[in-house]
Amino acid sequence: MGVKKFIELVTETLGLDEMKKSSKKKSIKNLLKKLKSKKDSIDKELKAKVGKKKKKELSEELDIILFQIKKGEAILKKLNS
Amino acid sequence: MLRKILLPSIFVVLAYGFWISPDFKGIAAGVSIFLFGMLTLEEGFKVFSGGILEKVLEKSTNTLYKSIGFGFITTAIMQSSGLVSVLAVSFIGAGLIGLAQGIGIIFGANIGTTTGAWLMAGFGLKIKISAYAMPLLVFGVLLIFQKAKSLKGIGYILTGIGFLFLGIHYMKEGFESLTTTIDLATYAVDGIKGLFIFVGIGIVATILMQSSHATIVLVLTALSVGQITYENAIALTIGANIGTTVTAVIASLGSNIDGKRLSSAHFIFNMVTAAVAIALISPIIDSVNFISEFIGIANDNYTLKLAVFDSLFKVMGVVMFIPFVDKLVQFLENRLKGKDKQEVESYESAQYLNDSVLEIPATAMAAIVRETKHLYVNAFEIIAHGLNIKRTNILSAMELEDVIKDSYSKNIVDIDEFYEHRIKGIYGEIIDFATQAQSQMSPEDIEELYALKIASKDIVDAVKDTKHLQKNLLKYKNNSNKHIQDQYNGIRIGLAELLRSIDAISKMSEEDEIILLLSKIKVHMQRYDILANGTLDKLIRNDLITNEMATSLMNDSSYAYEISKHFIAMAEVIFIDDSGDIKNLDGDMFISDEDVDSIIKKGE
Repeated sequence: MGVKKFIELVTETLGLDEMKKSSKKKSIKNLLKKLKSKKDSIDKELKAKVGKKKKKELSEELDIILFQIKKGEAILKKLNS
Repeated sequence: MLRKILLPSIFVVLAYGFWISPDFKGIAAGVSIFLFGMLTLEEGFKVFSGGILEKVLEKSTNTLYKSIGFGFITTAIMQSSGLVSVLAVSFIGAGLIGLAQGIGIIFGANIGTTTGAWLMAGFGLKIKISAYAMPLLVFGVLLIFQKAKSLKGIGYILTGIGFLFLGIHYMKEGFESLTTTIDLATYAVDGIKGLFIFVGIGIVATILMQSSHATIVLVLTALSVGQITYENAIALTIGANIGTTVTAVIASLGSNIDGKRLSSAHFIFNMVTAAVAIALISPIIDSVNFISEFIGIANDNYTLKLAVFDSLFKVMGVVMFIPFVDKLVQFLENRLKGKDKQEVESYESAQYLNDSVLEIPATAMAAIVRETKHLYVNAFEIIAHGLNIKRTNILSAMELEDVIKDSYSKNIVDIDEFYEHRIKGIYGEIIDFATQAQSQMSPEDIEELYALKIASKDIVDAVKDTKHLQKNLLKYKNNSNKHIQDQYNGIRIGLAELLRSIDAISKMSEEDEIILLLSKIKVHMQRYDILANGTLDKLIRNDLITNEMATSLMNDSSYAYEISKHFIAMAEVIFIDDSGDIKNLDGDMFISDEDVDSIIKKGE
């Protein structure tokens, strides 16, 4: 058995690839949690009375956050599949 | 000259020794194998000294006591104060720790070396250690041949331990055989005269072997078979402690200012401790006897008693020095001044890049990150002034519309001069240093290093683009044509917002905030695409600006876009926490140009 094959076997046996995947999953879950809580706080701010300029700014941030959440969920789905 | 004579002389003495005594040959071979084992062990630990150590270091050296603990534990594990000293110099050089913490690490390492004496006296001399050496060597060598960095590292560590065991075995065997032919103990010298003679021998032996650890192991082995007396062994141990600083000072002659300061601290510490130990030798020996009796060491177990002495002597030194660390730091910083303090150069140079950090890939990487941040700080100022905006206003909470009204200077800032003095040299040093550091790095590290080199280039390119932008920006910012004036001031506001946001990112720790702000400035960057968003078309169609103005605006919007692109790309590399979730996702959460388009479309 070649060295490369041996290392692949060790990686597979020890589940090192899975470990990397699960660490990524954990990271994306952490980020999604933070982004969702940020979204909630922007929602709350938008519901309160704010100036036109601030409202525009918050709406833009909300659009970005929603996009990031969607992106994060897609990554998580891919990692789970 | 001395070196030219010294080495052949040592060879002649050794050759003569081998010729007259096969036992001496065994002992010398044992010492050589032991030293080779230490080198191999250091090689192995260097593989792991990167990321893990850096992370531990951040949390464990913020106080003097924690630094001492760090030095003690790492030396006890790696059994090499030499490697720990190299690490400490590298960490200071990379700006990861200060001199006081470095001194703390050295203090801890000094106590850490005593574990070697305990292991040797407690186990090494009592069991047949060579039986463990063989399998360790076989497994170790097999692992060294593996491609994976960590397996290779483990291989070096196992082989190192194997050689240490084998070395001890040969030393022990050599001394045991020697006992049958010659009794070195007859050469023992009593009293104060003996103390000084054997301290001297300890110094010379340590300088020759470049390791106090090896000297102490040799002393313990000789003591275990009665070839030296307990009193002389104590003197040899004190000598070894002085000898080790001589090697450290010699090694630091070629190092940078941090290395010189640290080795000077090491020298002062060990010399004073040794002087106090010599002056108070009788009460110290009494204390050793008392402690030994208290912990149940037999009165005639001299090897363990020597380990007690070694520990007591070193702990005493550390306790004695702790109250004076700040004064020692002050003294060394005043006495040994670096280039940065000695000469104020008009050409700014790198602050964190020096040879001492090259040894360890993680510290080299940390130094490059810090230097790139230094380059960014300079570029930030140049870009702000190039736009004729005050840096302090950008960093304040002032409305951006007001920020651009408060001009930095009535005259045009010479970006070329700024570039020559504060960018070019540092950038060149980063690239040169990165090339040198690369040779010690793994493929993954090299990939990270490449990203850092690109980040530096992004900074340089952003400055160059500002230079191109500056000419028309200053020409049109107060132009009588209101439309072109608005466009150029819009560019200034946009870039001021970019600089403010990047500065905020550099200080942020919340990752959701970082992602949001990075995405936001990426979205805002699209405002410079005046062809696609119809701005230029509208201005020309309605005859609001001249053709010349239109061409300038098109080119300059493109420069503003490039500046933003370069700065955002740089921020994604240097301001993202290495141990954070964003980094772990390899940039998957950063938005692409297509993502920006989708966000803009949704917002419309």
